[in-house]
Amino acid sequence: MNPVDLLHGLVKIYSPSTQERVASEYLVAQMSALGFRAFVDDAGNAVGILGEGKREIALLGHIDTFHGFIEPRIEDGQLYGRGSVDAKGCLATFVAACHQVGAREGVRFIVIGAVEEESATSKGARYALTQYAPQFCVIGEPSGWDRITLGYKGRVLVDYEIAKAMAHTASTTRAAAEDAVAFWNRVAQFAAQYNADKPRVFDQLDPSLRALNSNDDGFTDHATMRIGMRVPVGLTIADVERALTPLANDATVTFSSREEPFRADKNNALVRAFTNAIRDVGGKPAFTVKTGTADMNIVGPAWGCPIVAYGPGDSALDHTPHEHLDLAEYARAINVLARVLSVL
Amino acid sequence: MSANCPECDAEITLTKPMRGEIIVCPDCGVELEVTNENPLALELAPQEEEDWGE
Repeated sequence: MNPVDLLHGLVKIYSPSTQERVASEYLVAQMSALGFRAFVDDAGNAVGILGEGKREIALLGHIDTFHGFIEPRIEDGQLYGRGSVDAKGCLATFVAACHQVGAREGVRFIVIGAVEEESATSKGARYALTQYAPQFCVIGEPSGWDRITLGYKGRVLVDYEIAKAMAHTASTTRAAAEDAVAFWNRVAQFAAQYNADKPRVFDQLDPSLRALNSNDDGFTDHATMRIGMRVPVGLTIADVERALTPLANDATVTFSSREEPFRADKNNALVRAFTNAIRDVGGKPAFTVKTGTADMNIVGPAWGCPIVAYGPGDSALDHTPHEHLDLAEYARAINVLARVLSVL
Repeated sequence: MSANCPECDAEITLTKPMRGEIIVCPDCGVELEVTNENPLALELAPQEEEDWGE
């Protein structure tokens, strides 16, 4: 098995969220050829199981990518293409590492190429969490071959809407758009107060204004606003909703795309296996926490097992037109993960 | 088994060290990683960085 061919083949198949089927079938065929029991599950995830036993080790990557096809090519040891970093490189790392280790007695390696991670639905991960009960879980997200990701912030979308009777602009009545802006200012002020003693972005409540629209039909003045809230560990989504609702005064606010923040423990057999493996191949391990969200936010609290995110690649290239993976780093990550899977 | 904290030089004794285990120095509070069990060796634990990414 050539890991570069595996990844190159996967990257050649464009698979933005909700259009993963062909990529899933390709990966299933590749895993079947390598001796996995592989299938496309009811959510559309590509699943490959290697070994039999009660001790499940879940390797949960995602097979969908950000949109925008990039012509796949290999130049100077770099594999260019959409998803090469985020996160088909991680998914191919999982398959190659399991194949390198082979079936172990009493252990089931479960590789999952989940669908719709890049969309707010997270359909694949939500289905997978009902199917397995792993003792360890590795999420496939890029952070570099020598870094171990321990946590992700949470997220909630806030939709604000106000409708009020039209008034002359020369009057003292505030327009709907002005009410919306005032709400945004109160949200920003609330976050600034929360963040006052928190220098790290990971610990901060981070609002971002996504959209603001206003219009009228001559009788009713109408404004809508969408705010994204990145929520740190220490707050729950319910905390944020309780705090923001009264700031809207007479307007309506609704909340959606809720993902609780999640921070994994770093003193367990899984993390030790990674730090030891990275040191054993001459690296210096580092921990990282991320200001975005990932499937770890979904399965981490539900499975309650030791969990990290791991994968080769520079996450600064995620979603960029220059997305590419260093193939030497890819090989190092496979080697590290194979060492981890051989001792868990 | 004992080793010294690389940060403050305090002597730290562990009864059953595990390679890769993260401990906290009781004197200075810094996080340490057990990098060898016998003889006991301690290094500053991996730094925690932050990054954007989903």
